[in-house]
Amino acid sequence: MTATVTDTQVEAVRATSPRRPWRRNDKRPGLGTYVLVLALSVFFIGPFLWLVLAALKTPAEWSALPMKILPAVPRWDNFVHALTDMNFLGYAGNSLFLATVYSTLITLSSAAVGFGFARLRAPGKGAIFLIVLSTMMIPQILTLLPTYVLFSQIGLINTYWPWVLWGLSASPYMVFLFRQFFAQLPRELEDAAIVDGAGWFRIFFSVFLPVSRPILITSFILSFTWTWGDYIAPALLLDLDHTTLSVAITAYYHDPNGNVLPTVQAAGAVMYILPVLIIFFLMQRYFIQSSVSSGVKG
Amino acid sequence: MARKWSRYQKRTFYAFISPWAAGFVLLTAVPMVYGLLVSLTNFDGSSSRWKWVGIRNYLELLGDGDVWAALLRTVFFTVIFVPLSVAGSLGLAVVINRRLRAVGVWRTIFFLPSVVPIVAMAILWKLVFNKDSGILNAILGVFGVPHIGWLQDPTAFYALIILMLWGLGGGMIIMLAALQGVPVELEEAARLDGAGGWRVFWNITVPMISPVVFFSGITGAIGALQVLVQPLLLTNASGIAGVGNVPDSNRLYMVQVYQEFFLSNRFGYGSAMLWVFFLVILGLTLLVLRTTRGLVYYEVDADAEKEGAIR
Repeated sequence: MTATVTDTQVEAVRATSPRRPWRRNDKRPGLGTYVLVLALSVFFIGPFLWLVLAALKTPAEWSALPMKILPAVPRWDNFVHALTDMNFLGYAGNSLFLATVYSTLITLSSAAVGFGFARLRAPGKGAIFLIVLSTMMIPQILTLLPTYVLFSQIGLINTYWPWVLWGLSASPYMVFLFRQFFAQLPRELEDAAIVDGAGWFRIFFSVFLPVSRPILITSFILSFTWTWGDYIAPALLLDLDHTTLSVAITAYYHDPNGNVLPTVQAAGAVMYILPVLIIFFLMQRYFIQSSVSSGVKG
Repeated sequence: MARKWSRYQKRTFYAFISPWAAGFVLLTAVPMVYGLLVSLTNFDGSSSRWKWVGIRNYLELLGDGDVWAALLRTVFFTVIFVPLSVAGSLGLAVVINRRLRAVGVWRTIFFLPSVVPIVAMAILWKLVFNKDSGILNAILGVFGVPHIGWLQDPTAFYALIILMLWGLGGGMIIMLAALQGVPVELEEAARLDGAGGWRVFWNITVPMISPVVFFSGITGAIGALQVLVQPLLLTNASGIAGVGNVPDSNRLYMVQVYQEFFLSNRFGYGSAMLWVFFLVILGLTLLVLRTTRGLVYYEVDADAEKEGAIR
């Protein structure tokens, strides 16, 4: 195989992925590497397939004792049940609403805070920024339980206000992303606006926010998928009438005896993952980018 | 330059960072302090007839066998999971960094599970781990292994680790970026000196990416110590009521805290457990940061880095 690779093919690969510097003495990997990669792919992809297959089986096929790997015919009943056994679309709407509100707010607030750290000056700025970075280390789960107790005392349970408050208060990680981005922009960007007499708030909104589109998108889709997937906060703060899809798909789909209906739950899970997968495939580079920058800095 | 004094006003800076400052005080500091106060009471979560009990909750903690067992289990879990996770993501990154055909496809496949929501992850792995209808036992059955009850004691612990290793792709991307940041000349120079692939990897690549490896280890450990949702969901029951159904081998520290809150309604005691844990994690982080300084290689010196942060 290796021998058939021509120089033009190598050049084509180089052209499509300019950020990967090929090492001159790096040979094409052999068959063993491909066997390994294939085995790993089975581990990473296999469970997805098993989920989809379960969603397409009848309950009898799922629990048949000489196991049936494939359903005789794909059954869509599970999806119908998943949609109608509970108010699936209603819960999906709750998830969508919460995720949209939270992501919009957190993106804007983090951008403002990041802008402050990147472009403005005041005594104590460095020290405050270190505090912001160190709050990244405070485990969310440790504050969530006391927050739940506190919020239940002041009547914020079963409302969406906690997500609004969390959204308004910026996330240290997003602040860091925005600060890094704003700090590398040239000073000339604000100079013209200052000469025109614009204040910093106008400069932020009309000059800096528009140019930070890639970070805005990254922040939004990350917060969105995070909220869509969050289980513990809605499980604690919202009852079954107000909760999100992530809690609902674990709480319903039971037979009268309280046993989980695996095939229906599988169908529900497939529909629940779908939006995340779509966002992921459309926006993969933003996920990868943010993943990279989260590891670069401590 | 003469204009600078008027260009920046303190007020403006504080106004811009006020969302974070307000949030930090109201949504982090206040709940933490509130939790500290609750930990000094016998509050049960609902009744108004609670009273201050001083440090009695903390004293009880010291003699609570369940808490110690949960803590030891959590440390054990962390000690097993973190090295596997760091080595695993580095391993994946090394593989993906080779000149594979269709490398983008493989990378996407490896990365994909790390974006799957935790609830879906649990549902999906429960189907894989299912004793009679799960694919894992079916595959093992081909090799003559009898059916394993993956979600029960004591195997549930390994099921949990497998589930969590499924999300290695996120770590892989971080390691991949680090690997690609290693200057090609360094590795080539070592190769010219006659070093083999293994030696180049251990003596050049690994030291060069040590800050990233180290950072992954620290954040991984902090994350592993407070794992809660995965063991909560990886049971045969569901919902908050399911916290009592977590098999003993998965009763990690945070699960134990959760049980104190929602099974025993001991909010005061649970809050004390949280505070102790917070201090343990804080102390551990500081200790690790202090003792390993000098073991890792940083390209930028600390002063320049600090300068960059303040600017």
